Amino acid sequence: MSPQLPVCRAIEPDLLSVAAGEAGPTAAGRVEAHLATCGLCRAELTHYRALEGMMATLRRAPLPDDDATLARAQLASRLSDLRSRMVGFGIFPSPLGRILIGRSEQGVALVQYLPADGPLSARVRRLLGEDAVEDRAATEGLRAELVEYLEGRRARLDWPLDLRRMRSDFQRRVLEATAALPYGAVTSYAGIAARIGAPAAVRPVAQALRWNPLPIVIPCHRVIGGSGALIGYAGRRVELKQRLLAVEGVKTVAARNDFKVDREAMYTMVTGDSEYCVPTCGSLLSRSMSTLTLFGTREGAEAAGFAPCTSCRPDLHPLPA
Amino acid sequence: MAEDAFEAVVGSHHAEIRRYLLRITARGSDADDLSQETFLRAFRAYRALPPGSNVRAWLFTIATNLGRNHFRAQARRRRAYAAAALEMRPDAPDRTDGQMLADETRERLERVITGLPAKQRLAFIMRKMHELEYAEIGASLSCSEESARAHVFQALRKVRRSLDGHLPVGTESSS
Repeated sequence: MSPQLPVCRAIEPDLLSVAAGEAGPTAAGRVEAHLATCGLCRAELTHYRALEGMMATLRRAPLPDDDATLARAQLASRLSDLRSRMVGFGIFPSPLGRILIGRSEQGVALVQYLPADGPLSARVRRLLGEDAVEDRAATEGLRAELVEYLEGRRARLDWPLDLRRMRSDFQRRVLEATAALPYGAVTSYAGIAARIGAPAAVRPVAQALRWNPLPIVIPCHRVIGGSGALIGYAGRRVELKQRLLAVEGVKTVAARNDFKVDREAMYTMVTGDSEYCVPTCGSLLSRSMSTLTLFGTREGAEAAGFAPCTSCRPDLHPLPA
Repeated sequence: MAEDAFEAVVGSHHAEIRRYLLRITARGSDADDLSQETFLRAFRAYRALPPGSNVRAWLFTIATNLGRNHFRAQARRRRAYAAAALEMRPDAPDRTDGQMLADETRERLERVITGLPAKQRLAFIMRKMHELEYAEIGASLSCSEESARAHVFQALRKVRRSLDGHLPVGTESSS
C-alpha cells in the first residue's frame, strides 16, 4: 500500500526523487529523516526503486517494430522532394521600391515588386508556395547584384533560374525569347510573337509577360508596344519600366499616362541581322517594329555582338547624344 | 550548407524519435509516418532555429505535438490497436538481462503506461524511456518544468499503484 499519513503524502515527491536518483541533498536529507521513523515509506522506497529498475530494463529492451530503415528511406525521398520545392525568400528595399527575391534549389524562382508596406498578397504567397521560408541570408548575394544592376553598375544577372512557375509552355517560350533580348535593347510584343513563331499571338504574348514571375531578370521591360509606347508594367507602374530602360540607356519621352521610345533616336537592326544601323538607313523607319530590335546606344548594340552597318556607318555618324 | 547539417540531424536523431513515436503510438506504421512528418517539419524550420539550440529536445517537441494531434484524431483507434499490439508482443526479448522482470509484470507495466492520460504518458515516456530533462519535457508539452515533473510523478504513482503485488516486497512492507 502507499503511504496514507499526511506526513507521508508530503514526503512522497521527495521519495520519488530519491528512488529516481534525482534528489538534491536537501530532499535526500528530508527523506532520510522521515524513513528513520516510517517503516511504511521505507517499503515504499523499495517499491519505487524496483519500479525504476524495471523501467531501466524496459528502456534498454528491444522494441518490436523498432526498424527505422523504411521510414528513413521514405524520409530521404520526401526531403529531397521538399528541398526541390522549397523557396527561401528575402524582402529588400531597392531603388525601385520593396522587392522580394525567392530562390529554390534549382535557381531564382521569383522576383516581385511589393507595395511599400503591408503583408504579402495572396498572389505572392501562392507563387511562393506553402513551403516558402524567409531566408535573407540565402538571397543576400542576389539582392546585392540586383541593386548593382538597378544602379547601372552591372549589365547582367547570370542567375540560374527555376522556371517551374511558368503557367504554360507558351509562356515559357515567350519568356525565353524575352530573356534573349540584349541589355539596352527593346522590341515589340509582336516582335516576341514573331520570334516564337506565333506572329498572331500578340495579346497572348502580352498576357504571358504580364505574369512574368521573374521581372528584371527576365527583362519584360524591354518589350514595348508597336508604336513605341511602353504600354504597361507591374500592374500600373509603367514608370518602373521607364526607369529600368533609362538605366540601360534607352531614352523615352513622356506621353499621355505613359512613356514612348522615339524610334528616330534609336539604333536599329532587323532582327536576325548581324549589323546595326542608324534609323534612317534604307527604309528602316517604315518597317514594322515586329521585325526590329532597337538599341539606345551603340555601345549596347556592340556589347550584344553586333557590328556597325557598312552602309550607314553608325560608328562614324552616331545619333546625337 | 544548412542542408548538409540537416542530414547530420537526421542521422543522429531519426532512430530515437521514431522509437519515441513507436512507444507513444504502439504502431510501427504510425511511428514511420509521424517520424517522417517530424523531420519534414523540422527541415522547414531548421534554418530559423537559433544557433546552439538543443536540437534533440526541439525534435521531441515537434514529435510530441504531432503525436498529440494524432491521438486527438484517432483516439479510439489508437486504444484498440495499442491493446492489440501488446497482445502480439513476442516473448520477452530481454531475457538475458531481464531476470527480475517477468513477462506478465512487464506487460502490465506497458499496459498501465498506455492507459495514462496523454500528458502524463508523454512526460513519463520522455523522462523514463528517453531521459529528457524536465525543462525539455515542459517545453515539449507547453508547460513549466515543475508541471512536467508533476506529470511524471503522477504517472509514477499510478504505475506503482497498478503494480501493487507485482513489485518486489520490501523487508519492512506492511502489506
